[in-house]
Amino acid sequence: MKALVLLSDARHPVSGRPAPAATELQAVALAHTLADEVNGLHAGPDAEAARGALGHGLTRLEHRQLTAGDDPLPSLVAAIGTAPPDLVLAGPRAGAGAQTGLLPYCLAEALGWPIVADAVSLAVADGVLEVIQALPKGARRRWRMRLPAVITVHPAAPAAASFALGVARKGQVVETPGLPARIEGPPVAERPYRPRPRLIASAAAGAGAAERLKAATQATGPGGQVMVAPPPEAAARAILDHLRAIGVLKPAERG
Amino acid sequence: MSRLRRDPREERATHRLTDGGRPRWGLEAPPASGRLRRDPRREIEAARVPGLQRLRLDRTSRSIIPVIPSPVEPLPKAAPTIRIVEEPAFLVAVVPDAPGGRLTPLDRQLLGAARDLADVAGGATLVLAFGTVDGLGLAGADRVITMAGGGSEDPSARAIALATALSALHPRHVLFPESAKGGDLARRLVARTGEELFTGAENLTGKLVTRAAANRRIEQRMAPPGLMTLAPDAHSPHAGPAHEAREIPAPDVFPSGGHGAILSVEDLPVAADALSLAEADFVISAGSGIADFDLFRALARALGATPGASRMVCDAGLMPRAAQVGASGTVLEAACYFALGISGAPQHLQGVARCEHVVAVNTDLHAAMVERAGLAIIADAHPVMSALLVALRAEAQE
Repeated sequence: MKALVLLSDARHPVSGRPAPAATELQAVALAHTLADEVNGLHAGPDAEAARGALGHGLTRLEHRQLTAGDDPLPSLVAAIGTAPPDLVLAGPRAGAGAQTGLLPYCLAEALGWPIVADAVSLAVADGVLEVIQALPKGARRRWRMRLPAVITVHPAAPAAASFALGVARKGQVVETPGLPARIEGPPVAERPYRPRPRLIASAAAGAGAAERLKAATQATGPGGQVMVAPPPEAAARAILDHLRAIGVLKPAERG
Repeated sequence: MSRLRRDPREERATHRLTDGGRPRWGLEAPPASGRLRRDPRREIEAARVPGLQRLRLDRTSRSIIPVIPSPVEPLPKAAPTIRIVEEPAFLVAVVPDAPGGRLTPLDRQLLGAARDLADVAGGATLVLAFGTVDGLGLAGADRVITMAGGGSEDPSARAIALATALSALHPRHVLFPESAKGGDLARRLVARTGEELFTGAENLTGKLVTRAAANRRIEQRMAPPGLMTLAPDAHSPHAGPAHEAREIPAPDVFPSGGHGAILSVEDLPVAADALSLAEADFVISAGSGIADFDLFRALARALGATPGASRMVCDAGLMPRAAQVGASGTVLEAACYFALGISGAPQHLQGVARCEHVVAVNTDLHAAMVERAGLAIIADAHPVMSALLVALRAEAQE
């Protein structure tokens, strides 16, 4: 089975130097759980960050050369079309650039393959791929689908293999010219990022420290119901009814 | 300020009894002053918390002393004002997550942002919901369309239905939450229709929308485009009067399945014990009022809740350090927090601040956790835990 990992021209989030994105390395590790051949694919002007993934278990990296500002999608579709893999994996966002997370979806649409986001575990049985998807609040969802497919990887997936210099030196990079395609879209102005305060439950402006602490720790609604020294059975019934009313506990199954 | 001078002879004369020849004075009768005399003993009796060994007083008169109904007839309640947008100039569509038919905080912020975009030029907000959703009017929705195929959890089928509906409705803007579900749906829709999507908007006004890019080194800004996803905690929810949330018929959508290669989609049961506290939805927590931890863990398992603990319990080694809730432990994002034997230090309450519902069992009526709780039981936690286990087992056997 062949798997292909899409690699972005990522930058380290702190130092800003070229380095493979953490979720893309996790995608390499996840691909190794079921594929014996894991290749990388990058379309862009520079493959230095993608080259770093060679030491984390990538056999071969294909670099489609583009000039800066080109749309990588046609080059990726062409590269996948020449030697179609069974599985394409990607991170949820690129490690640099606009970071919209749209490319895996556009690629799946262009190829006509199904896509599942936020995978944490993969398995294949009889040509059917089983994906465990991570949802918020610790929920998991199981997808079963026919190959080929596009999968994006969640940060909760198994950790990436550590870097090995020998493997990195052995890995080969194939350079091929890509398909130039200009990005057409509405003009977007760019400027240095300015952090904005996140919305919090705040006291009125100019309130003292005690009021701000109270606003941060206490509920905004009216005081709740208080039962003083009830019999334990009545207390248990009240708690269960309250938990069911707020939808935390499933309703009791009757019959 | 000068006080009136007392005249003892006159006061004595008011107590004089006129029943016989001999002069007598009844001094037990109170002097006729205008003020009622307080009886501190009776007040203490009324404020005493029953059923406890130690003297506990509840001076808040919150639950113990019955409130005497005032004889004054209550004013007739004014009917709640509902703002109606009859002839909207344009529509701002919102696709909320609404898991289980309840709006999440991000859904409310999304509706608040849509409200602002609509009020710029007399537009109306339109909610495209998969299944019925509660509380849309209060959150600021003018129109509601319930899309068919709410039962199907396959987002590719939903994206197709949404694309057809939006091409019939022509909204000026469509807003999605930048959550796992909403962000996925928005990207599927855009990949299908080929429109532009502005992802993760962190600041949204009628003229300008801003997002972070390149690992938060630059920000991109432009006039609000057609499709946008909104980042969490970036916009305040709608705080004005309620809107009508009028149900309107859905445009004709041909029922379509998802992608042909997808065979099945199913939700797996959540193992609450194995969850980390940060992503748990229902947390049950033990404090220094708990001694029987086997009973506590059994109750957590029976309720399907993730076990947590206070700092004192973790310091004592009774629960692992990873279970600590609070400023120096985990700050929860849970929907419900069930506190057993926790009085609620400020550092602990900071960890609970983002929980929507709190249930507390505590012996101290004046504890901060009781003040914070939606339902508070003033009793020892152990008999309540046993009774809860018995009730849950009885329900399971029925």
